[in-house]
Amino acid sequence: MPEGALAGISVVELGEMVSAPYCARLFADYGADVIKVERPGTGDRARAWGPFPGDDPHIEKSGLYQYLNTGKHGITLDPATARGRALFLELVGGADVLIENASPRSLRERGIDYASLAAVNPRLVMISITPFGQTGPYADWKGYDLNAFHLSAAGSRYCGRPDQAPLEHGTFAADFFGAVTGAAWGLAACLGREQVGGGQQVDVSCAEAIAAVFVGGQNIGGYAQDGKFERRTGVGMPLGAPATIVPCKDGHVWMLALEPGQWNGLARVMGNPEWMELEMFQDMFARAQNSDAIYPLIEEWTMTRSKWEIMERCQEAGVPITAVFDVAEAAGHPHLAARGYIVEVQHPLLGGLPVLGPPFRLPASTGRTGMAAPLLGQHNARVFGERLGLSESQRAELTAKGVI
Amino acid sequence: MNGRALPLEGIRVANFGWVWAGPVVGQTLAFLGAEVYKIESRARIDMTRTLPPFAEGVRDPSRSLSNHACWAGNGSVTLNLKKPEGVRLALELVAKSDAVIENFGPGVMEQLGLGYESLRAVRPDVILFSMPAAGLDGPLKDIRTYGLSLTSTTGLDSLTGYLGGPPVPVENAFSDPYNGILGAFAILAALHHRRRTGAGQHIDYSQQEAVMQMVGPAFMDWTLNRRVAGPMGNRHPLGAAAPHGVFPCAGEDRWISIAVLEESEWRGLVEAMGAPDWASAAGFASHASRLENLDALHERLSEWTRRHDDRELAARLQRHGVAAAPVLNVADLLRDPHYVARKTFIEVRHPLGFSETIYGAYVKNSRTPALVEPGPAIGRDNEHVFRELLGLSEARYRELVGTQVIY
Repeated sequence: MPEGALAGISVVELGEMVSAPYCARLFADYGADVIKVERPGTGDRARAWGPFPGDDPHIEKSGLYQYLNTGKHGITLDPATARGRALFLELVGGADVLIENASPRSLRERGIDYASLAAVNPRLVMISITPFGQTGPYADWKGYDLNAFHLSAAGSRYCGRPDQAPLEHGTFAADFFGAVTGAAWGLAACLGREQVGGGQQVDVSCAEAIAAVFVGGQNIGGYAQDGKFERRTGVGMPLGAPATIVPCKDGHVWMLALEPGQWNGLARVMGNPEWMELEMFQDMFARAQNSDAIYPLIEEWTMTRSKWEIMERCQEAGVPITAVFDVAEAAGHPHLAARGYIVEVQHPLLGGLPVLGPPFRLPASTGRTGMAAPLLGQHNARVFGERLGLSESQRAELTAKGVI
Repeated sequence: MNGRALPLEGIRVANFGWVWAGPVVGQTLAFLGAEVYKIESRARIDMTRTLPPFAEGVRDPSRSLSNHACWAGNGSVTLNLKKPEGVRLALELVAKSDAVIENFGPGVMEQLGLGYESLRAVRPDVILFSMPAAGLDGPLKDIRTYGLSLTSTTGLDSLTGYLGGPPVPVENAFSDPYNGILGAFAILAALHHRRRTGAGQHIDYSQQEAVMQMVGPAFMDWTLNRRVAGPMGNRHPLGAAAPHGVFPCAGEDRWISIAVLEESEWRGLVEAMGAPDWASAAGFASHASRLENLDALHERLSEWTRRHDDRELAARLQRHGVAAAPVLNVADLLRDPHYVARKTFIEVRHPLGFSETIYGAYVKNSRTPALVEPGPAIGRDNEHVFRELLGLSEARYRELVGTQVIY
């Protein structure tokens, strides 16, 4: 296997749950050397989250933990102790990048905030990913993915029915968004160290990233100028039609036919019903105004067809309609199998475990080793022994004291 | 060392991206110091330039506010790629660029005469970044989607909606900016590789696969337990929190998000509520029982939250160690004290003479704050690129403008 694109970059991760661990996994996926630092005894809280095989909790069997931590080395270390802090500083002293998602306050309290670390390693790029960021009135607020997502206005503007609560995607959408943002901005800071004269802290707020790039990008200019803003409608795209999710015989399809060629293509697939030829339905804006009339008519047809049939025939006719894949269908689709997207890692307790592979392909420089997520403290001997030069008896003493 | 240098200074990028995802790839690199030129044309105006509202109400492709922020950072040159001369000039620019971005369907760059082999012929170590809906090969490679609907092929849409109900469509393309930013990371990884080995490459970025990463938690439940998740409202994706949701507050369409994962947080919540009797009932005594009685718990909590102002309540819950925050709407973004303090949104003066509000440096780099510029007027950088960078004579430049090659 060719060497990974990020070979030579040394990363330390002090991360829990989703945001920092996924960011660090992106580095590991492309060949960086990643050491994940976990709390002695319990480890990353994702280890307690599951999903577990048979719903039976076990700190080595959390599916979420496995997914987010493949390809990393794992050690246990408590930087809140004096000795643990010293070891942490030594580790970070030799690293290019630190990726973390602790609260700014807890880093200050443990003496491992950016100022302290930069004193030890001025070339360090510290990627800090938190719900709200390092500064501002909410910097010391407690927050999880849900809080960050809804502080961005994404739900209130774009997801849910007007008379019901704003919704999030059924995933950790804010954490993932913050993770990729930290990866891009942090890697740039790492590659540019020579020309800017050293490392720096990259302060990512998950809420802010979404509020700016997703919501703000399309809404803020108009609101600032005209004082008008929109809210969620629940129907998909209110400006044009059809552009919504509709039910069919065995599930749902994303019904999209906006341009004239697409509308005519849909008409052909539906057997050219007369109503579709009406002048008033030849324009996507006019159709949107009459969507109450159109959607039930389209639904009458979709309810007699399967989502795969609808997708296949519409795509053939040049209409961008897709089946709403459930998770099993998405995972089992031959397209992903043909591309080798799902890869299997070998885990000592879970056996051969399928996980989603790296998010994109770098043909000249793949990197993933196929290494499963680390067991708690699996690489203590290697990292504390070989890298930091602690003898076996020193390690045993620190382990007994709960430092490592 | 010049303290004002930016990390990616010296990197030049030709951005053939259009609509939203492609421009954001270029923008992310530009915020960090790269010199990025969006290649567009009046012969086929990028759709986003045609969308209202317009600055001061004047309908013009250089005054579209709705998406102006997304091009901030990209420069703009206009080239009609339907003309061979236009393609030749594009290749000349590529020869002087480190990376090329495109978000067309597979094969479109080849049809334009700008496929990877053509680019390599003029720039052997070029990095070409392609981001079609489902990648460059495989049975679905020619699938047609919009950013809006791409999520349907990842499983993500099947998880979005009210508990037990049908999927509810997200009304804009969350994937576009997500892929725009992750795409920048892909290019940076390839740049690092090139620095070490001298080799460029053609990055095969499937938007479907990149977005499907967000479905990872549900994918693992499928893998481990053969359980297929459905819409779950605002519940915790792994069922690990109670309460976990968005609850009504006083006022019209005001809500608060509250997430409780730990025992200490539950105690804080109970305290903040003034320890009502119901909270100590057996049904809510342990984390497990709260999960079991989640509907009832959410109902009780809603009765309490709806009597309170969202911001006051969030501050109060935070004082008790509970993760809570107001649910903002678009108007709130401009006046929320946190975003105001972090200068998330800024007003800039556009060279065409109007003021507009765009997002600024939404990530704070401690040593090198991002470079933020207004979105470019169409063709803003033509003179610089064609005259100075590519060295066209004044006469030749005028001729190409006259024949609508530079157009």
